[in-house]
Amino acid sequence: MMSSHKDARGPRGKQAGRTLCMLACWFCGFVQAAPPEARLPDKHRVFLTKHCHECHNSETQEGKVNLQNLPFRITTLEQAELWQKVLNALNAGEMPPEDELQPANAQKADFLDDLAQTMVAARKKLSDSGGKITLRRLNRREYQNTIEHLTGVRVDVGSLPTDSGSGTFDTVGTSQFISSDQFEQYLQLGRQAIDESFERQAAQKGKPRVVRVEPEITVNAKSRAAMAKMEEEYKRYRLWKAEVDKAALAVENREVMDTLRQKYPGLEGKSRVRLYQNANLLKGMPSAKKFGFKDANAADFSYRGGYGRKYAYMKHYAELPHSDRGTYLKLAWGIQRIDVTPNPKNLPPGTYTLRVRAAVVEDSPSFRHFIEIGHPQRVNGVRAGFAGFPISSHQVTGTIEQPKVIETRVAVGLHTQREFGIQERQPTDGKTLRDAYNRSKRDNGYGIPPAIWIDWVELEGPLPETGKSSPLQTIIGRHAGNTAVSDAEPARAVLTAFADAALRGAKPDTAFIDKLLAIYEARRTAGEGFEVAIRTPLSIILASPGFLYLNEPGNETERRQLNDRELAVRLAYFLWSAPPDQQLLDLAERNQLHQPDVLRKQVDRLIADSRSDKFVSGFVHQWLDMKRLDFFQFDVTLHREFDENTRASAREEVYRSFAYLMRDPQAGRLGNLLKSDYVFINGLLATYYGIDGVKGDEFRKVTLPAGSPRGGLLGTAAIHAMGSDGVDSSPVERGAWILRHLLNDPPPPAPPNVPQLSRLAGKAISTRQRLRAHQEEAQCASCHRKIDPLGFGLENFDAAGKWRTTETHRVKVRRNWRNGKSWEIDASGAFHKGPAFSDYFELRDRVAERESDFARGFTEHLIEYALGRPFGFVDEDLAQEILTAAKSKEYSVGEFVQALVQSKAFRTK
Amino acid sequence: MNPKLNRRRFLHGTGTFIALPALESIGFRRFASAASKAPTIPPKRTVFLGCGFGVTKETWFPNTAETGADYKLPEGLTPLARHKTDFTVVQGCSNQFSNEAHWGSTFWLTGANRFAVPGQSMSNSISADQVAAQQLGGDTRFASLQLNSSDGSASGHGPGLSLAWDGRGKPVAGVDNPVHVFHKLFSADDLPLKQRQAAIAEKRSVLDAVLTEARRVQRGLTSTDKDKLGEYFQGIRDIETRLGKDESWLEIPKAKAPIDEPEPGLKGREEIQVMYDLIVAALQTDSTRVMTYRMPGLSLLQSMNVTLSAHNVSHYSSGERMQASQARDKVHSQLLAGLIDKLKATKEVDGSSLFDHVALAFGSNISSIHYLTNCPTVLTGGGASLKLGQHLVLPQDTPLCNVWLTMLQGMGLNAERHGDSTGVVKELQG
Repeated sequence: MMSSHKDARGPRGKQAGRTLCMLACWFCGFVQAAPPEARLPDKHRVFLTKHCHECHNSETQEGKVNLQNLPFRITTLEQAELWQKVLNALNAGEMPPEDELQPANAQKADFLDDLAQTMVAARKKLSDSGGKITLRRLNRREYQNTIEHLTGVRVDVGSLPTDSGSGTFDTVGTSQFISSDQFEQYLQLGRQAIDESFERQAAQKGKPRVVRVEPEITVNAKSRAAMAKMEEEYKRYRLWKAEVDKAALAVENREVMDTLRQKYPGLEGKSRVRLYQNANLLKGMPSAKKFGFKDANAADFSYRGGYGRKYAYMKHYAELPHSDRGTYLKLAWGIQRIDVTPNPKNLPPGTYTLRVRAAVVEDSPSFRHFIEIGHPQRVNGVRAGFAGFPISSHQVTGTIEQPKVIETRVAVGLHTQREFGIQERQPTDGKTLRDAYNRSKRDNGYGIPPAIWIDWVELEGPLPETGKSSPLQTIIGRHAGNTAVSDAEPARAVLTAFADAALRGAKPDTAFIDKLLAIYEARRTAGEGFEVAIRTPLSIILASPGFLYLNEPGNETERRQLNDRELAVRLAYFLWSAPPDQQLLDLAERNQLHQPDVLRKQVDRLIADSRSDKFVSGFVHQWLDMKRLDFFQFDVTLHREFDENTRASAREEVYRSFAYLMRDPQAGRLGNLLKSDYVFINGLLATYYGIDGVKGDEFRKVTLPAGSPRGGLLGTAAIHAMGSDGVDSSPVERGAWILRHLLNDPPPPAPPNVPQLSRLAGKAISTRQRLRAHQEEAQCASCHRKIDPLGFGLENFDAAGKWRTTETHRVKVRRNWRNGKSWEIDASGAFHKGPAFSDYFELRDRVAERESDFARGFTEHLIEYALGRPFGFVDEDLAQEILTAAKSKEYSVGEFVQALVQSKAFRTK
Repeated sequence: MNPKLNRRRFLHGTGTFIALPALESIGFRRFASAASKAPTIPPKRTVFLGCGFGVTKETWFPNTAETGADYKLPEGLTPLARHKTDFTVVQGCSNQFSNEAHWGSTFWLTGANRFAVPGQSMSNSISADQVAAQQLGGDTRFASLQLNSSDGSASGHGPGLSLAWDGRGKPVAGVDNPVHVFHKLFSADDLPLKQRQAAIAEKRSVLDAVLTEARRVQRGLTSTDKDKLGEYFQGIRDIETRLGKDESWLEIPKAKAPIDEPEPGLKGREEIQVMYDLIVAALQTDSTRVMTYRMPGLSLLQSMNVTLSAHNVSHYSSGERMQASQARDKVHSQLLAGLIDKLKATKEVDGSSLFDHVALAFGSNISSIHYLTNCPTVLTGGGASLKLGQHLVLPQDTPLCNVWLTMLQGMGLNAERHGDSTGVVKELQG
């Protein structure tokens, strides 16, 4: 058996016969499993006979539908389509017709439940690839990592189309495609990476620059100037206003005033502003221009939008102690950001250090003790938060007496905005804090109290590159030395070596290199130097199929074992989402990688390496369907703390929890994801969860206090935020998520045409009572009787994953929420045909008991991700094999990975 | 730096245009079309506007008892009242194979069965717009143009890169940024002709080089994998076709922009507004004759100050959600009415209006909530000679592809069937 891998490439002579025979044995595992069936249970024959056959038998065939001979075992697309019609008609409530005998609710729900599940199985079976792994190209993540590996540059792949199509992993070849636009984008991105790599190298020759910003000089001075302007405007405004007030009382304006009063009730009180805006209607009123305003509106707004709104706020901040040597970060109004704007702006690409000396204001709320770093944005010349999301957030722990320096690294790329900004953490749209500002101002007379003081900000770089140089840099360094006499030879050497690296060890044809060289030479003839002309052919290599596709030659009739180089590639892309490193390639070269013990050690090494973080984020994100985490902007009034920083940390918590298990063979039990007495959090999440004693931005393992609802996926903010719409929790989303991802009992996809129940909508009742309507109709109950109770068990978590004990009915009146009735949350319930639970904690315990179901679902997903094809019926044995191996090691996450890599399927084309 | 690839200068469209050098050898040409190709009678154009999640059942569909020209416009369509004699509302159509309750666009113009190909969990077929593009695209700079929104395929559209699917059932990419659309259509490439010719020649060498490499990769692959790699080959062939086209348009300056460059960062309602302007501009300058637009859902609601998600609004029931759904319907109708105004106001060479030569459809595969029956369909424009100004109620589950087929044939295109069509809709034929 061991020799077959060597022979797969086509041995000649008498060995061939033996190899064939051995191959046959080697692969017998693939054909043994009896394919499971997509079969509707026989007990439902009665249902069909009773409710369908009278009209839809082979003689009557009403609506040209004959169900009499429709087999319960679905084996063809035609049968599947007909059954789909039955399912749709029942779901839509069209059948049986109203005037016919109706099935009992429970009976119909059971029938629908089974038929929907059978259809899922049938679709899966009919679309089964029979274990075939289709050629696939690098997905977005892998492309980005591979480019980074080759050039040292991380390009923005946002312009490439996403790879997640119809619910499969982004590693599945059959769901991928490529278009002409995409090819052009590859050329462009490859070029960007190569340009940047050259520029980074060039920048290394210069000295690092230091840009230091003292905000009392920038921010505070600007604020004072703005205040002076407001004061001056306010003087003019008051003179103008006095005239308006006088004119309003004048007899000659009685009529005008009556008209205005009629138009604007409350003109003497709440709506007084209408008088000033309409001042031009008043007789005897001097023109606003005389006071230096464009018109009455502008005069009025100079106060309402200026002095009246912001002056007290800015004055309060300007007069705070220590404002002479630093600044307090503002929210909602005034200058909210400290900008680090290098002058000149030509920061070369590279890595920079950003330092911020900061302190918190005593007695301010701890969730506000965070700054965020981003690229400044201006809209119409006005400062407006960051362009895009914050790059990072940092906890401020210093005090005014003892400020602390926060230090972090930021990257400057060829297309990065060469400017950074610092601000207090806030929702993406900072304007949403204006309501809170107004509320605060009503109380304290100025606005939001300060929470963070900044002494200075400093940017230094580019830092010397210390890591290993990229293959591109090495190759250029090696061959580009002497181009004085003839540079065709160095060019050929560079292109050949880079193609070797980019094609992951496969050898390019000479014809390919020749053509690249011709393009290079045309560029040279056009007057470009070596360093520039070589970039075009280099970027073509990064758009060529040998680079873009993980190609594995195969046999038409039988599978073959991968050779060691192919195995190295598959392994590296599985666990790193990146190309193999030299060690893997060397082992492949020596033909040792396939040896089980060698392979095992390599898996351990790959997992331990930080590059496997890319596997963790890529796999976990898709496995747990975490894209929902990014669907909604959270309502700022209700969930002020769930900003982009919380979202990013919440996501990271899930990844870290998984990575920890994967890397720790002793404590790595998969079931810890269902329930654990620890969490992986940073200072931000600790503040969010109300866990004391965790400060700083590093994620770490923290043991939970007794009785904490955290610990395990069901205790994470991420999972609850995913099961919400940014305003309210969604027990349906959460319940379905548990079934899909924790219990491996996925409900069928939401069916079309099911009549929606609106009877209870808008009523002031609890979510739980509202969803009770789901149980009234069989079409809904068939799925929701399983889904909803689990979701109710999580109702103690609000939309943003914070613990709560009451639920409040709210109605939105324009921008404001109006609170109505409140209820104590009842999280008790029972699994459909299963155990009961009295609260969230018991629900979590019941879920945690289902570790083997969880492990099964995890295994199926891992197989799909790693093999790059949907989990198929041929994989039953493989799944069993992996589960058995993992179970013998206490369901250690690393063991699942090991068993999968050791399996035949993983090592087979 | 590479001057050839990076020195694309864009015109800024604030009403100032760089005077294009008179090209004596070419003589005066119509802005976008070559003189030889410039039509003396206005050409046929078609536009498809997909709204993702459907409409409000109760207030968008006309009463089925009132058919023909004499029907009362339901609330959701009232903003279209001034055009009542110029559009037709069709009821009763659906795509029989659609089962995905959140996919309003994937099969909307194709009518395909997702599971039609054994061994695959997803397949599709050509969309109606691409059928039109195959026949109408030859004479314009762009065979077709697909517009998207920054919402992507969320908001009830389903898988796909735009509304369009090519002849092999593969998704066709779209542009989601109005500014990029503007530049694509109207920004001149001010490099000298020789350099642009050289750039095209180099692109050909690039394709030639990667094809060499592709042939190496192809050796020894299984037939399935060869099929997969075939997509790469096809992509290269598509670029070759485009280069050929670029070449024939090389000496013809791009059309002069009839509108200003859009503001960056427009979302929702403003985005639709400006995309509609770009649609008119593209058709008016004959830069393309086939356009689709996969419209925003979530960001449209956000621009209307609705904080609910597009999906939640689609599950409306009386109260806040239904109001939001109805408000969104009205905004769509207002915007569509504005688009029709513009199409009518734009004059063609022969004095007729652009509206007379456009066949436009607005709708989705999703009717309302999670219903895939009775796809909402509004047809307008004179391009397919359809009978406008009526409310047409077809038998339940008439293939939506019958409507597309009627449109295609009405435009004089060669199409015997489309998707799962069973024939044309006689009642639509004028």
